[in-house]
Amino acid sequence: MSKFLIVESRDLMEYKESDFALNLASQLKKKGHETTLYLIENGALAARKGSEAAAKLTAISKEGVKVLVEDLSLKLRGVKERAEGVSESTMDALADLILDGADKIIWY
Amino acid sequence: MATDTKPKVVTIGIATASYQREAPTTMLRLTEKLLQRGAHVNIWTFEEAVTLTNKDQKDHQEPPGLHEVAGKQHTYVGKFVDGIMKAALHSGALKWVVCILCVQERGVDAHQMNGAIIGTFGDFWKFANASDRLIIIPTYR
Repeated sequence: MSKFLIVESRDLMEYKESDFALNLASQLKKKGHETTLYLIENGALAARKGSEAAAKLTAISKEGVKVLVEDLSLKLRGVKERAEGVSESTMDALADLILDGADKIIWY
Repeated sequence: MATDTKPKVVTIGIATASYQREAPTTMLRLTEKLLQRGAHVNIWTFEEAVTLTNKDQKDHQEPPGLHEVAGKQHTYVGKFVDGIMKAALHSGALKWVVCILCVQERGVDAHQMNGAIIGTFGDFWKFANASDRLIIIPTYR
């Protein structure tokens, strides 16, 4: 089993194919891999509570995918309320994940 | 008992330049955190990202009407690239290589900062093979 880190920097609502990242995270988890989806830059927009994309994030978090969103990306975009299942994180935590918490990193 | 103190090596490939997306800023913020943790970082820039190390970038003036809210000068990402390369000079923990074809195509081969090395895909291949972690940050239009 591998530990996957998927970093999503795109606005999930702008790029139709960005659903691929969510589906990939979901499928990897179903296959037994430890999977983290990390939202950063415009990827953080999807974490806004009440959005259509937020519902998808909540759904994959219930499947066991760890969903994190960077604090500065949220702050810059005025996102104050996060979707259920999405936890706030930091650049320090992302660096730790890269060095010690993941062995495969995919950056969109 | 001996402990493994060999630093982890992270290679980051990036294709995005300033003013396209936030990716260069994110990469710099991440690189700083990785270096703080004792990791060695190789940056391999290609496509527009090779202009991040264009030494001819300058602060530019903000419009007078914005001085009160934005200050008089607007900085540029290259200043922070130069800063992080200088900060890592004596540790040798940061290498910054720019793609030779990309700098030639964009006319910036003779305008690279001192810390940037003009290299090839061969360098990228060696970086990738010698790394514990490989991150490729693509560009989007």
